[in-house]
Amino acid sequence: MKVAIAGKGGAGKTTIAGTLARIIAERGQQVVAIDDDSNPNLALTVGVDRNAAATLDGIPRDMLVERTDADGTTRLVLAVPAEDFIDRYGVPVREGLTLLVMGGPNHGGSG
Amino acid sequence: MRGVVGGLVEGASRTTIVDLEAGLEHLSRGTARHVETLLIVGEPYFKSLETARRSFALAKELGIGQIRMVANKVRTPRDEDSMREYATRHGLPIATVVPYDDAVVAADERGMALIEYGPSAPSVAAIRGLADDLLTSGGVPADPAGR
Repeated sequence: MKVAIAGKGGAGKTTIAGTLARIIAERGQQVVAIDDDSNPNLALTVGVDRNAAATLDGIPRDMLVERTDADGTTRLVLAVPAEDFIDRYGVPVREGLTLLVMGGPNHGGSG
Repeated sequence: MRGVVGGLVEGASRTTIVDLEAGLEHLSRGTARHVETLLIVGEPYFKSLETARRSFALAKELGIGQIRMVANKVRTPRDEDSMREYATRHGLPIATVVPYDDAVVAADERGMALIEYGPSAPSVAAIRGLADDLLTSGGVPADPAGR
């Protein structure tokens, strides 16, 4: 299952995302919760200490590879299988639930 | 990093739940392509619903299959009616209605996860219903209240 959650700041997007991730993990699924917001708060709503969930701003470059699309734009993509990446950089929250925090205000940009 | 999120959503074999940037302007086609269900969280006031409607249109353009609104912070039957009326008028299916809940504010004030502060709070109960719908092979019904 692949779900994304959108909404204006303050609408409750992150509370719903984090709570949903916890419930689905409780139901026995293996879940990765990905915080792609530039103001990352998902850690709190899934129930881990904010400081325990370092952001991925400093991913080693050998984890990523530059790819050029047909239209000539380049973007960074994973150089390793997604599951390996999640195991390596994810923060274990509890049984069946892992958190990945992509980055702070400066993340984004490419692709 | 955008390509990274798209690659994670695409390649992960486990269930993936992505908390997106506020607003969909930054949602890349690469990420959107692999998302099966987009939940757009809206509140019962006009500007929020307008934003939800724009996000809905953009998400449709990006080709996301199942797009649903979560009607959040609903205080009164009148709130719910006005959201349903707006959603119906604009063809924006509502997945679930989450009531306004003091537990959300209280959990936030204490720096706690909502589900730990109030595991049986009304808002959590509503999100449990949403999870059940997502886990059902048919996906999220457009309107579980059947109205």
